[in-house]
Amino acid sequence: MRYNIIRIGIIAFASITFVACSDFLDVNDNPNSPIKENLSLSAKLPAALVTSAAYESTQLNQVGGFWGGYWGTSNEGVSSFMSLKNYNGPAIRDTRDGIAVWESSYNNLLYYKEVLDQATAEQALFYSGIAKIMMAHHFFTLVDFYNNVPYEEALKGSSILHPTYESGKDVYRKSMDLITEGIAEIKVASLKPSNDDVMFKGSEVKWVKFGNTLKLRALLRQSEVKDQATYIRQEIAKIVQEGSGFLEEDAAVNPGFLNTAAKMSPFYETYYRNNSGVAVANYANIRPSQYLVNKYKEYNDPRLAQNYVSAKGEYKGVIFGSNAIADEFAAGNTSAFKGPNENGNKPGGVVKSFSQSAVLLSLAEANFLQAEAAERGWIAGEAGRLYQNGIQASFNYLFNAVYNIEDYMNQTNVRYGDATNKIERIITQKWLALNSVNNIQAWADFRRLGYPNFPNSVSSPTPEAYPLRFMYPETEINTNNVNVSRQGDNGILTARIWWDVN
Amino acid sequence: MIKKYFSILLLIFIATYSGDVFGQVHLTVEGHVLEEFERTPIKGVSISVKENDRSGSVITGSQGSFRIRAHEGQTLVVSHIGYLTQEIRLGSGQTKIEIVLVKDFKMLSEVIVTGALGIKRQSRELGTSAQSVSNEELNLGKVVNPLLALSSKVAGLRINATDLTTGKTDPGIQIRLRGTRSLNRDKNDPLYVVDGVPLPDITRINPNDIQDITVLKGANAAALYGSEGVNGAIMITTKSGKAQTGQINFSNSTTFSNVFLLPPAQTTFGQGQNGVYSPVTSESWGDKFNGEIRDFGLPINGVQPNKVYAAPSKDNRLAFFDTGITTQNDLSFSGGDEKGTYFMSLQDVRLKGVIPGDKSSRTGARFNGSRRFNKLNTSFNLNYVFFKNNTTGDGPWLSVYTQPANIDYKEARNWEDPNSPNHPLNWYNPVASTRNPIFMADNNRNTFDQHTLNSKLEFNYEFTDWFDATYRTGLYFQSEPGRVTNRKLVSNVATRNINGSVNDTHRGFTRFNNDLILNFHKDFGDFSTRLLLGQNVRMDNTKQINVSAANLLFEDIFNQGSRTGELTGGATLTKYRSLATYGEFTAGYRNYLFLTLTGRNDQVSVLDPNNNSYFSPGISTSFVFTDAIDAFRDNQILNYGRIYSSYNKTGNVTLDPYRLNLAYSQTAGFPFGSLVGFTPSLSEPNLLIKPEFVKSFEVGTQLGLFNDRLRTDIAYAYSDSDGQIFNAGISSATGFNSTIVNAGRIINKTIEVMINGTAIRKGDITLDFGVNFSYTDTKAKDLYAGDEFNIFRQAYAIKDHQYPTLRMTDFKREGGKIVLDKDGNVIPSEDEKVLGTMVPPYLLGFNSRFSYKSFTLGFQLDSRLGSWMYSEVIPRMYKAGTHPETVKYDRKPFIMPNSMVRLADGSIVENTEVYSKGDRAWWDAYGAIQTVTAAKGDYLKLRELYIGYDVPGKWLAGQKMIKKASLGFVGNNLFIIRHSSNTIGDPEALYNQTDGYNSFRQIPSTRSMGFNVNLTF
Repeated sequence: MRYNIIRIGIIAFASITFVACSDFLDVNDNPNSPIKENLSLSAKLPAALVTSAAYESTQLNQVGGFWGGYWGTSNEGVSSFMSLKNYNGPAIRDTRDGIAVWESSYNNLLYYKEVLDQATAEQALFYSGIAKIMMAHHFFTLVDFYNNVPYEEALKGSSILHPTYESGKDVYRKSMDLITEGIAEIKVASLKPSNDDVMFKGSEVKWVKFGNTLKLRALLRQSEVKDQATYIRQEIAKIVQEGSGFLEEDAAVNPGFLNTAAKMSPFYETYYRNNSGVAVANYANIRPSQYLVNKYKEYNDPRLAQNYVSAKGEYKGVIFGSNAIADEFAAGNTSAFKGPNENGNKPGGVVKSFSQSAVLLSLAEANFLQAEAAERGWIAGEAGRLYQNGIQASFNYLFNAVYNIEDYMNQTNVRYGDATNKIERIITQKWLALNSVNNIQAWADFRRLGYPNFPNSVSSPTPEAYPLRFMYPETEINTNNVNVSRQGDNGILTARIWWDVN
Repeated sequence: MIKKYFSILLLIFIATYSGDVFGQVHLTVEGHVLEEFERTPIKGVSISVKENDRSGSVITGSQGSFRIRAHEGQTLVVSHIGYLTQEIRLGSGQTKIEIVLVKDFKMLSEVIVTGALGIKRQSRELGTSAQSVSNEELNLGKVVNPLLALSSKVAGLRINATDLTTGKTDPGIQIRLRGTRSLNRDKNDPLYVVDGVPLPDITRINPNDIQDITVLKGANAAALYGSEGVNGAIMITTKSGKAQTGQINFSNSTTFSNVFLLPPAQTTFGQGQNGVYSPVTSESWGDKFNGEIRDFGLPINGVQPNKVYAAPSKDNRLAFFDTGITTQNDLSFSGGDEKGTYFMSLQDVRLKGVIPGDKSSRTGARFNGSRRFNKLNTSFNLNYVFFKNNTTGDGPWLSVYTQPANIDYKEARNWEDPNSPNHPLNWYNPVASTRNPIFMADNNRNTFDQHTLNSKLEFNYEFTDWFDATYRTGLYFQSEPGRVTNRKLVSNVATRNINGSVNDTHRGFTRFNNDLILNFHKDFGDFSTRLLLGQNVRMDNTKQINVSAANLLFEDIFNQGSRTGELTGGATLTKYRSLATYGEFTAGYRNYLFLTLTGRNDQVSVLDPNNNSYFSPGISTSFVFTDAIDAFRDNQILNYGRIYSSYNKTGNVTLDPYRLNLAYSQTAGFPFGSLVGFTPSLSEPNLLIKPEFVKSFEVGTQLGLFNDRLRTDIAYAYSDSDGQIFNAGISSATGFNSTIVNAGRIINKTIEVMINGTAIRKGDITLDFGVNFSYTDTKAKDLYAGDEFNIFRQAYAIKDHQYPTLRMTDFKREGGKIVLDKDGNVIPSEDEKVLGTMVPPYLLGFNSRFSYKSFTLGFQLDSRLGSWMYSEVIPRMYKAGTHPETVKYDRKPFIMPNSMVRLADGSIVENTEVYSKGDRAWWDAYGAIQTVTAAKGDYLKLRELYIGYDVPGKWLAGQKMIKKASLGFVGNNLFIIRHSSNTIGDPEALYNQTDGYNSFRQIPSTRSMGFNVNLTF
């Protein structure tokens, strides 16, 4: 009897303790972070845009600064940026110490892809339009660095583990079409973003103009490719037909930067000072190249004194790539950026304040692009006028007010009409205008046209060598080598981007 | 489904077991069995009636008690492994009996081990190898962390101290049993079980509280733990009181430790650049030391400090370090009676680190108590530990090894005087990374107070002599408030500035673990059977909070309220839950052949409900052939022998909570006021993730020779872990940088040999020795998205190579010779070179103990062979000009011996005339070639040395207070022989769970010496 009681007891106990415990295990909902379904488009778009602008201001400005002829290093920075100074392709592609343009571009593209997917599902055409235009912008950048890159098969997560590459030319063409689609969507959209559009505050016309200007930039990239002439003409016709024209203000991002670590304007925080006003290492390490300083001097350019401080009464630059330690190249003996601390707490030229907007595409560049297109006869308009507008926009931007450029324009080496090579004159002024704003354009222009003819690194592996591209990154070789190996030579000094034909 | 299966099984067995019990009424004898010396109860003793062997035997419970029915005049046979069998004739009307068992010294091969769930097992019935380490062996070296004491004592166990997060006075521990099963570096730890309760961490346990540690080496032995036991289990049993003896123990141990194995530095050239002295440069690229008095740094208040330009004969870097001091004081009380026992201990450990200012302390108390109420046995263990840590960050040592040989770190300690050249505003160089290291240590403090409360409550009820049930609940609670501070320093030289910052953190962790175990055992003639059924409930909760301010306004107010800019911080909460049911059935035949079947079903919260339940089966067998085969009976050479084998398939889930959905977080500085900005995680989630499975097989033999004077255990183990859950790197073109997958396979093959013996036992002299050896081959197979991927830094998983593999850039070579470019510069190889495994495949331990009268001498030798390592300190030393190689050619241009040169036309010829510059840029590039920083990790070290003296009893006669007293000397790491290629550091040191990887943060290892006193009252 007693044993029977025990037996029943055990069975009862067992069944009590083993009751279906589905609720018990149901604790895997993340209490720390929202998942994609919890978030509206207006919570996703701002971070994607700020990320794009931050890459432009920091990572791309760094590569363009050194390879676009603007920057060099002081004695203090002699060990920094070695891979850029030596044109060391394998070091740049290194996972740990390299420059991750590939990874950051595709990650940023994913942010837009997520916005695009949600916007498409929600019929939020303004958002999908923005996503498409910004995705095109990043694909252009990827091609400018790596030539052939994944496009159709990209951004699909692990459903396509080994995305195949497409030719740089195809990716350019498809990205161009993406902008066309994006513009069309924005124009018919009913729901508009407001403050969450940290670039244009939901202005339809500004986004369309930005899209058109990006297109123009991409078309000019291929100016030297002979058999693209027809294509370029067709695409220009589409822009003209669309009718909104080009940017009339800087395309710049500002979510309301604060004087707090990681919330500051990225250029300011990376190249000038941190939030307690302490100079960052880059501030001592990076100096203008002698070539840049001389160029400014050659044009009696007031922007030199607006952008840089003098050292012992003189504006002095450094030799790009030099490993030698010499007194004249000490940080204290060369010209650093002039920011508010050196300018009586007033905004400087390229360094203005912790809250300065991060420029994706400047009004100056938009004008120079139009000037070049007009000069080439692609678009209507007076090239000289557009050229002057570009210079005016640059001065206004750097001096933070409308600046009278009459004297400057009257110099024969500036005046458009006096130029024998008008394209060179446009590109040279564009180069001066984009210094430390959008440096990366200078590297592209140099590869395309060879203007301005700044010297290569003195630490170059061979005297004439000039970097033509980035090698495919180590992460890609480790995970997608089947496709990397099909791309042929990706040597930094030997393999050209498709539009780089000269 | 499982539920149903379980209930049916339960029913069947209850029916089977109860069938035989309703027999005729006998005289009921109640008693308990005690051990001869300590008079502790012995559990698991088999008692049968000799005249009635059909009725089988009963087994004593946890208090050694039993109850059996028999007639007057019949004889009870009391047998237990390791003890002499006794026969007791029952007198008339005898119903109470106390039996004292006497140890059988011929039976050393047969030990009692702590099996899964803390259940004591005879080693003869196990289908696996299990090794026990006693309290005495553990505490020989007087280590603070009990796990460190396992080093080289157990075959197939590899242990490393890692310098992870908590710093130099509290190193982390990495334990690997029989190789590496998971590609996820953080998921290879064994399970830690204390008194039957799985705990997340046991580094805070007082080693003196430990009775013994049994190491269950693989999934087979730990099968009842399922997933958690997939990497083996470390079973710790803490001490309990002994019946009828009250005892007080006091011990003190004090050890002194000093750094050793520093990477060598040059002492020829001093500070400067391009061979020219500079008073304000930290790098050693100046001219030769020449004994001149030179300007040093900049003028202070108009006075130019100066310094003799010469390197001292003794390594100046040693003056940076302190002598570490560890003091341990232990006090314990124990006692008990027939119904209950208690054990209480107090411990205080004070640790002063080798980096100035680093210190920690551990104060802990334990109470283990047990009480018997008739058939109900209860026990309660409570352990509270307060650990306090106060260390500095990584900066100071980095600063030291990149500065010149003439810097005086003894003087540098006097930095607080604002007029001193050692003051941070006057320090000779203004570079942030080479500040005065003593100031750096003082200025940056990481502190935390960790409270750990661990309790266990256990009830065991003996329903009948064939059935008992155990309910065991454990609560583990940890609370860890911490604080990191950086004192503000304001200078007009930008690089001297330091932002004042404070980060307050709190981590709370709670684990509730609950087991219900039903235990049935019964003998049927020649057959013995045991069935164990159980279920486990687990709940883990973690909460982490941090609040920080990166810009404090005042030097001495470390409070977020006094800041500029925004407050940053957040909280992370995680919950993990699991449910399991398990069962084990063991059948024995005539006590020499055993078969065990195990099964466990786990259900975990971290997987999708569609695939969160999985089953792990296992089978094992053991055969004691010396008992079974007549030919071996009374064999004088081979007195004991058994063979064993087991097979298991164990499911495992290494996924962290909340990894099934794509989580978004605010990045890029968001939020900006009311503007929010979320970006997705770049690690792609995977809803379809399934458990991974490890198949493991083990076969071995255990032999006792010459009356157990020589004992061996030889085992071969194989494990195949497939479909691993890990975060695999994928092409960023997919948008994500990694994805969670079931992929990747690792196969481990291990051979283990253990030999223990007594070489001499004659009169007052005893010489014992033990050897353990293991060879493990860990190979990576089918990987995800390619044939290789990066694990961490230079550690790779490469298909068909030993895992993890060291792969790094080499020089460009032609026929083995280094190829230089036309200017004499080194050229990095296009492809990285595979050097070999970063984990030593060969582990060898040798220990011996010699005792003569009151003296004991013990030592432990440890050798690991066959691995590669590398150091990130080395390239930094090349760059800074402190590496000895940089002075090999007197800092002059040289023709690199045995090199080739690539001419301008691309042809490669022998180098006879191209000079290499040998300047800073050249050596920096040379040091950046990673193979320069690699070495073979082979070593042999004297890990422990112990000399003890027991004060003879006659000296203690005439007083009643002190019963026993002993004195000892201990030394750790007293010598090491390294591979000749290794001048980079301690091959045992590792960083961030990555074997063979010496981070640039790694401080040198230490050796220690000290003494201890033990008193028993």
